Amino acid sequence: MLPLRSTDFATLYSVRLTSLGPYRLFGYLSIPTGDGPFPAIYYVPKYQSVLEIIPQGTANLQRSRYITFALAGRGQRNADTPYAAMFPGLLTDGIDQAASYIFRGIVADSVRGLQFLLTRRELDPKRVVVVGNDTALITAALQPGATHVVTAPALFYNTAELAPQTQAYPLEEINDYLRAFPDRAEAVRRTLAYYDLRAFASHLSATTLIMAGAPGSLLDAPTLEPLVRAIQGPVTVYASEQSSYKDGLYTEQWMAAQCGITDLQSILSEHWW
Amino acid sequence: MPKAVPVDYQSTVKKPDDFDAFWDGVLQQAAAIPLEPEMIPDPLRTSAEVEVFQVFYTSIEHVRIAAWYCRPARRAERIPAVLLLPGYQADPPIPKEWARKGYGALSVAPRGKLRSHRQFNPGYPNLLTYNIVDRHTYTYRGFYVDSWRGIDFLLSRPEVDPARLGVTGSSQGGGLTITTAAMRPEIRAAAAGAPYLCGFMDAIALTHTYPYEEINDFLRAHPDSRRTVEETVAYFDGINFADKITCPIIVNIGLQDNVCPPETGYALFNRIRATDKQLYTYDGHGHDAGRYKHNAIVDRFFAQHLLSER
Repeated sequence: MLPLRSTDFATLYSVRLTSLGPYRLFGYLSIPTGDGPFPAIYYVPKYQSVLEIIPQGTANLQRSRYITFALAGRGQRNADTPYAAMFPGLLTDGIDQAASYIFRGIVADSVRGLQFLLTRRELDPKRVVVVGNDTALITAALQPGATHVVTAPALFYNTAELAPQTQAYPLEEINDYLRAFPDRAEAVRRTLAYYDLRAFASHLSATTLIMAGAPGSLLDAPTLEPLVRAIQGPVTVYASEQSSYKDGLYTEQWMAAQCGITDLQSILSEHWW
Repeated sequence: MPKAVPVDYQSTVKKPDDFDAFWDGVLQQAAAIPLEPEMIPDPLRTSAEVEVFQVFYTSIEHVRIAAWYCRPARRAERIPAVLLLPGYQADPPIPKEWARKGYGALSVAPRGKLRSHRQFNPGYPNLLTYNIVDRHTYTYRGFYVDSWRGIDFLLSRPEVDPARLGVTGSSQGGGLTITTAAMRPEIRAAAAGAPYLCGFMDAIALTHTYPYEEINDFLRAHPDSRRTVEETVAYFDGINFADKITCPIIVNIGLQDNVCPPETGYALFNRIRATDKQLYTYDGHGHDAGRYKHNAIVDRFFAQHLLSER
């Protein structure tokens, strides 16, 4: 238990668990005060070094209504021994070998995190939302138990073809790598094929919200259409309005509606209502 | 519909009587420490357009600070330069896009951030409240100096025109932009987005989101420390640095910012001393502070002030 981050409405715990390797991971688990069962939000490992309890800008009161669990995948802070990731650097670490590519372990970490969350007795198994980028979708496809997914594709959608169209990280990592090692292009393409979201879509039965880029951006809704069509379960596509307020509010409303939370206003940031 | 934000919001922060003396002492201590700049080519990130380097330099308390430096591969003898300052939890980016526009660009990782956390690592969350009861050891004493010394690194570069230096960043980077513009007279233009570290004690009442929520966590655990915390953060509050800013400056805020309350953005802007200052407010925007529209304004602003040789 972490008393410093616990309140009268939620208790925070640090969690250690073992993943593939074996590799020790770290997470923050917040449990609402009161009688459950509670809906849960699982924040999967991100492409950033810092692990947050809940995402920056999220009202702390979110923790009064949802169980929240945020996991640091291998390489992120608090899970950076023995492997400390670089940002940029993570996306291409070992990318020429599918068997040793760093995301093989990170996906396993993310799945292990969901497995852990599903063991919590306070959890309502009918309301388990997995939130994140590509790893959220992959995790929900590989591990039964996620009832809902909020995914913002950024890393693993048609990556070999899309990366040359941008100069922005994280995909710029691919461009950097292939400029330095042009003879590994085919190996990179082979590895990425194991992670492409389209390959997981037919296994995804959870109700899904896809956070697409703004119209005209690299990963906008028309670009993601093949992914949307391939997903087995019900899908909603939201096109970013390039406003963290509008995009964030939509996500909060969607999750609350899916989880039967009717007084969303009470758990929103003060400047959002 | 979100509530309207008062444009004349008054911050509760008071400037300590010995504010200037405190920072003079810090700067004297820093001046005694050699910069020891080191610049290591990064061939993996370098292209025909942009040269990329890993940079290290020494800051106060002899903490070694990491940064990324980018410059145009084809450039004039002297180029303008921009100091880029990072968000609270963001990993400092490799600023290639600034080099493509013709600038030398230094993206700093102040102490505690990735690559600068070997000697100082309070972690996240915790960095905001580490030693917050003592201004002499509080995180941001060194963190600010680490940022300011980025200017010393740029001045050490023969390709950088010392008369054309700018500073920019958003969120924590916006707050650091304010303090850097205030404390480094070499700065010719500054662009601060969604400034954090401004109106600390106002913000913790106006919003309950991390990272400011770290302070509420701390005060819940240590309620007797409230006055001491107030006294400490007054030395670090961007609002108290604002009357030292004289260079042209633009500030952008989102009126639905759920991280850095827009009220504190107004309070900051009203205290900035520069006469050439402009506030851009973005309704319908949160902590992004209208970035997708505002980036073009920032580009024009720096082009006007830095790209043309004087």
